Amino acid sequence: MSLLLRVAVASAAHDIVPSWPLDSFIAVNPLAGSESRPFESAQSLGPLTRDRAAYMTDRKAGRILLADLEAAVRLRSPELTGTVTVGDTILPAARLAALELELDQSPDTGAIFSTPAMTRLDEITSRWVAAYLTPDPLWRMPHRDRGFYAAWRTLARHDSSLPLRARRRIRGLPGDADAGLAWALVQLGVAAGDTQRVMALELHQLPGWASHIKWRAEKVGDIDLTSFLAVRFGIRHALQLPPEHTGSIPRQHDPAAELRGRAEALASLLAGDNVTPDDTASVARVLAAHPTRDHLFTWQRAYELNYRSRLLASLATGNAPAQPPEIQVVMCIDPRSEGARRHLETAPAIETFGFAGFFGVPIRFVRHSGRGAINSLPALLAPRHTVTEAPRDHATATRRVTAARRRDAVDRALHAGESGTTTSFAFAETAGWFYGLTSVLRTFAPGLLARIREERLAGRALESSVTVSDAFTLEERAVLAEASLRMMGMARFGRLVVLAGHGSDSRNNLYQSSLDCGACGGNPGAANARAAAVIFNDPSVRDLLEARGISIPNDTVFVAAEHNTVTDAITLLDSHSLPASHRWLADEFTLQQATAADRLVRERARDLPGASPRHSVTRLRRRAHDWAEVYPELGLAGNAAMIIGPRSLTRGVDLSRRVFLHSYQPGFDPDGTGLETILTAPVVVAQWINHQYYFSSISPDLHGAGTKTVHNAIGTIGVLTGQGGDLRRGLPWQSVGVGDSLLHEPLRLAVIVQAPLETIGQIISRNQVLRDLFDNEWITITARDHPTDPWKHYTRYGWHTAPLPSAEGAQQ
Amino acid sequence: MNNLTKMTRIEIVVSAREAPAIRDLITSAGATGYTAVSGVSGIGHHGQHSGALLFNEYDTLTMLITVLPPDKAGDLIDAVREMLHSSSGVMFVADTYVSRPEYFR
Repeated sequence: MSLLLRVAVASAAHDIVPSWPLDSFIAVNPLAGSESRPFESAQSLGPLTRDRAAYMTDRKAGRILLADLEAAVRLRSPELTGTVTVGDTILPAARLAALELELDQSPDTGAIFSTPAMTRLDEITSRWVAAYLTPDPLWRMPHRDRGFYAAWRTLARHDSSLPLRARRRIRGLPGDADAGLAWALVQLGVAAGDTQRVMALELHQLPGWASHIKWRAEKVGDIDLTSFLAVRFGIRHALQLPPEHTGSIPRQHDPAAELRGRAEALASLLAGDNVTPDDTASVARVLAAHPTRDHLFTWQRAYELNYRSRLLASLATGNAPAQPPEIQVVMCIDPRSEGARRHLETAPAIETFGFAGFFGVPIRFVRHSGRGAINSLPALLAPRHTVTEAPRDHATATRRVTAARRRDAVDRALHAGESGTTTSFAFAETAGWFYGLTSVLRTFAPGLLARIREERLAGRALESSVTVSDAFTLEERAVLAEASLRMMGMARFGRLVVLAGHGSDSRNNLYQSSLDCGACGGNPGAANARAAAVIFNDPSVRDLLEARGISIPNDTVFVAAEHNTVTDAITLLDSHSLPASHRWLADEFTLQQATAADRLVRERARDLPGASPRHSVTRLRRRAHDWAEVYPELGLAGNAAMIIGPRSLTRGVDLSRRVFLHSYQPGFDPDGTGLETILTAPVVVAQWINHQYYFSSISPDLHGAGTKTVHNAIGTIGVLTGQGGDLRRGLPWQSVGVGDSLLHEPLRLAVIVQAPLETIGQIISRNQVLRDLFDNEWITITARDHPTDPWKHYTRYGWHTAPLPSAEGAQQ
Repeated sequence: MNNLTKMTRIEIVVSAREAPAIRDLITSAGATGYTAVSGVSGIGHHGQHSGALLFNEYDTLTMLITVLPPDKAGDLIDAVREMLHSSSGVMFVADTYVSRPEYFR
């Protein structure tokens, strides 16, 4: 088999972005394969902006101002300087182009792109992939151990839904995937020079499966895209369906006539009946610099500029309190933490920080009573350190694990009974009444059922610790601790430091993992917080930190906690390890967080579909236990910016839970290493999340998973809409919208940094990932050295004063 | 040369995102192994590349080194060259000598 065919497969899959399974949902930019090219060049992969009507609605509502449009035009077409005279009116050239946007009637990219329609070939391919990958041991595909292509080839020849001749052709296919793909391509008449393009089209016809298989090839290894394409083209050959060599049909387009029409329309609007040929020519010269293909991107930029300008204007310039408060709380950079931090800080005794929710401790975590392990670390890292949970009472723990195994065995037997082809009806007859009773409780009294469960678990809680010293050497622990403190600029310490990870709590929610911590690989962050607290409390680590210039006082104690983002309760963990001298501080924190959580739950109820601030907090929190609730919380909907700087920039400012907040103090990071880590890790993860929400909102059917009310799960691999078709990617509609309206504003992430511009520039210039993201305008970065400096906006040509909508007369 | 056997050494520097595809080619070409060095730094056609990053292994460069008999090397060289048409990276090819050739066949 030729290696060149493997190269063609890899090149065809270049733009396919790996997609993680549901149980470790990792947000990704579905167009990440295009990040090395300008944002606008990815148009062939789907819509990149909303349609014009949506922007016009925002324009009428004042969400986009004429000044924003004018600033966006200037950024896009910097040559549009000076003024232009039309009739008796003299106005800036950029404003003329901005005014035209409101008149533009040309078709937009959103209307041009269409989601691939499902064909019979797609249905057959999807059915076989789903059958092969389903993790249910009761429905294991025969011959699975031989690989996808070989298993399919063996079984498909007996597939009675295929015509006899098709089955005969399948029998004639070569035995291994590489040879089968090469042979089928030849039989279907695909020219060697066209192979890559044709295979890319096939992959983009089923992008959900292709994305998941790309992930699986690397992480699991039981299937790859070569075998997927071998099956796909094998079916094509069997059904005699040669690939169509589709190409885009060029639109009839006369640019000169179009420009003339645009200029005449705008000149008439401005000069009325007195318009002269000179007026039209002047307008045409301006509009030529801003062609219609740019218009939607200018609208999007204006939409983003408006938000960023308001955000920058809202930031505070105050200083941190002179003395460290008694209690410091470090929370994840996740925008949901912003609300919790804001409400916590109404208590003067509390100061908060933002840091990635894995607290700089990347681990694979094994619970003493859990099945298997979880990779609780950013997807940017490979797991190398395994931390286990050690219960203090070994005898009780062993007894409970034995009992849990027995329950598991019973559950498996019940599952076999309800899933068997011959036993399922008998099972429903005999055991259905019991399930029915539970269902009644779940439906009509979810809160009661939850209380019963919580009380049962509370009585069974076992004290335990995490075994950090087995996973990390002392030097590694000190390095991680120093890096974390320098990254978040934590130079002084209160007596109690709470490290609060976060997790979500909901029932019957296939996308539960998408609501957990992204920095912890789509898992709750409690394990990392516990591990980090152990590291920071370790006297040996503190000695090494002291030698490196960071002094943690002896009476400072770190404690782990977890923020439940549905109920907003922050629960202290491992509090049994707190010294008696600090228990009153823990009690004080618990008291303060309870008040803050109630206020935050009510605040969030303003935006939550079906909720109201008038509802009781008990009712609002019941969403966590309601198995019919499709909006347990809004996750990161609305995310739009990331601020890297001291808390004094944002303390007391209501950022509406839309901003990732990473604490940073340049003075505590003199060589910029901490800032480089922030820009190359938390910013990258935030960008993935931001673009996942962006594209799931822009094209919910193509890059989003559609409505979750009709989802069917394939184990924990993913979901299908209905009973077949492509595996769905991205976020369900309920994460970004309600009814026909968007809950999420699709804005590319605006990164805002308070740090030396020179350092930021150097970091960007030596990291390809940042050059790609910022130079190609996938995200933006705005910065200033000091609180008194003006904000500067980064472009590939250097720093420029951030465009703020200030043009006189253009505020309407 | 001192009872050493001539082999071909191929070094490929690509982004970590592209490394799985290159590893797949190396093993498909019949190489018995390879060495991967993640987080390599340097300056090249696309500008400067910092080395290892503390919390990001995904956006760094990886160097893959393999040694294989000259008669197997040709296909791999052609394949990697083709691969580098659609993604950034560099390949270095050189003669090398090994003391235990059976490890590489």
